[in-house]
Amino acid sequence: MAELTAFSYRTGFSIVHSLDARFKLLLLVIIGASGLKASPAGLLLLFVLVLSGLIHAGIRLQDLFEELRFFLCFLLFVIAIRAFSADGTGLIEVYGISLSAGGLKEGLLVCLRLLLIALSGLLFVATTRMLEIKAAIEWILKPFPFVSGSRISTMTGLMMRFIPVILEQAKETSDAQKARCIENRKNPLYRMVKFAIPLLGRTFDNAGRIAIAMEARCYSDIRTGYKLSSKKNDWMVLFVVILICMAIVAYL
Amino acid sequence: MNIIEINKLSHRFSNGLLGLDGIDLSVKKGEFVVIAGRNGSGKTTLLRHLNALLFPTSGTVRINGVSVQDDPVRARRIVGMVFQDSDSQIVCETVREDVAFGPENLCLERDEIEKRTSEALNVTGLSGLADAAPHILSGGEKRRLAIAGVLAMMPEVLVFDEPFSNLDYPGTRDVLLQITGLHRAGRTILVTTHDLEKIIAHAGRLLIMEKGKIARDGVPEKIISGVETFGVREPYFSRMGLERASWPS
Repeated sequence: MAELTAFSYRTGFSIVHSLDARFKLLLLVIIGASGLKASPAGLLLLFVLVLSGLIHAGIRLQDLFEELRFFLCFLLFVIAIRAFSADGTGLIEVYGISLSAGGLKEGLLVCLRLLLIALSGLLFVATTRMLEIKAAIEWILKPFPFVSGSRISTMTGLMMRFIPVILEQAKETSDAQKARCIENRKNPLYRMVKFAIPLLGRTFDNAGRIAIAMEARCYSDIRTGYKLSSKKNDWMVLFVVILICMAIVAYL
Repeated sequence: MNIIEINKLSHRFSNGLLGLDGIDLSVKKGEFVVIAGRNGSGKTTLLRHLNALLFPTSGTVRINGVSVQDDPVRARRIVGMVFQDSDSQIVCETVREDVAFGPENLCLERDEIEKRTSEALNVTGLSGLADAAPHILSGGEKRRLAIAGVLAMMPEVLVFDEPFSNLDYPGTRDVLLQITGLHRAGRTILVTTHDLEKIIAHAGRLLIMEKGKIARDGVPEKIISGVETFGVREPYFSRMGLERASWPS
């Protein structure tokens, strides 16, 4: 049985859960853009805003840390690279390479911005059903001619549905190769090729079977979609978040 | 009344291989037909013609009197197909959404979609898992979800391709109870298998396929003793000269 991925919907009845997916997408863009313009103090305030949303939505900070641990390691790596490679006043020196205060500050700022975007994205995905996300994508793409919103939203849904399946198959393929002592082969290219060929083969076979199964259930671009409707709450939350973001960008 | 009428159906694949060779078959409304045969005998190819997933190279397939080639969508509404690999039949992120996928494709009103979805979930006993992600379900639950997805489209005929493959005993038992329940509710059932033991007690008709042809067609009691010639294991009750009994009993 596959494990749940980090970015998956969690049932709940919070205000964030009840918001229209289109508004949530807009809020995601507003918070992300404000994060790029905000000073460190403003960034911290945005963090507080997003973290409050996550806690209110019933996501435990411990789970959050667990799910983002690899991303956090990546951010630490970015900070280290930035701190050791930037010019400026050296704080300490390790083996002749100096750690710059300016680089450290810049690295921290970049990583905090990335983390803010990641947390906002997690809040969005954890509180929005895929059905609503697909409907929002379809709505956003409606004004664009020559772009099939319905097809793109279906592809997005299929991608989300099959990520855990592909991950499970990747693990199975890897285990099967370990069982036949692939680890004794030191050439990483050989190992990669032997891993990728069966996995890609299975994935393409599955894609063919999925297409047939969808055809058997009368799939076409013209179908009953999910109806999104905005409420007073959506507008109120949007208004409040815009005000907060404007204040952060203007005064902090 | 015949709900399925197949006349001289042949199908040749793009690589030149002959999948079906002059099949003539009629299935009456409410019949329970088991189609057995060794791997590659043409069972799945035959089923896929009923659902307009494959079209005949020659011959005709009629569902309720209308050729599947003339109206494939109608054929797919009347004949619901449950595939061997449930994982590739489940295309949405939650159980409820997946059941609603078919009715949404039929462009039904949202209220009707909700009604059909709830009914299908109740019939298959999946109401408690409506908001669960499909990849956390067990094999038997996934197979039941695939059945629910088809039931929500309200087909008259249900076609099962190897419904018991890769299932443990409880999973097999659940799926078998679903199939027999649907037959009792008046649906026409076609099941392909190479393992007769589990299903034959419930079937009214047995077809044996061999090299793309129907080699035997009749009441199970009459033709079951010779099935091993066609690569199908003869059920225990038949070898022992016992009465046909339901597998889970």
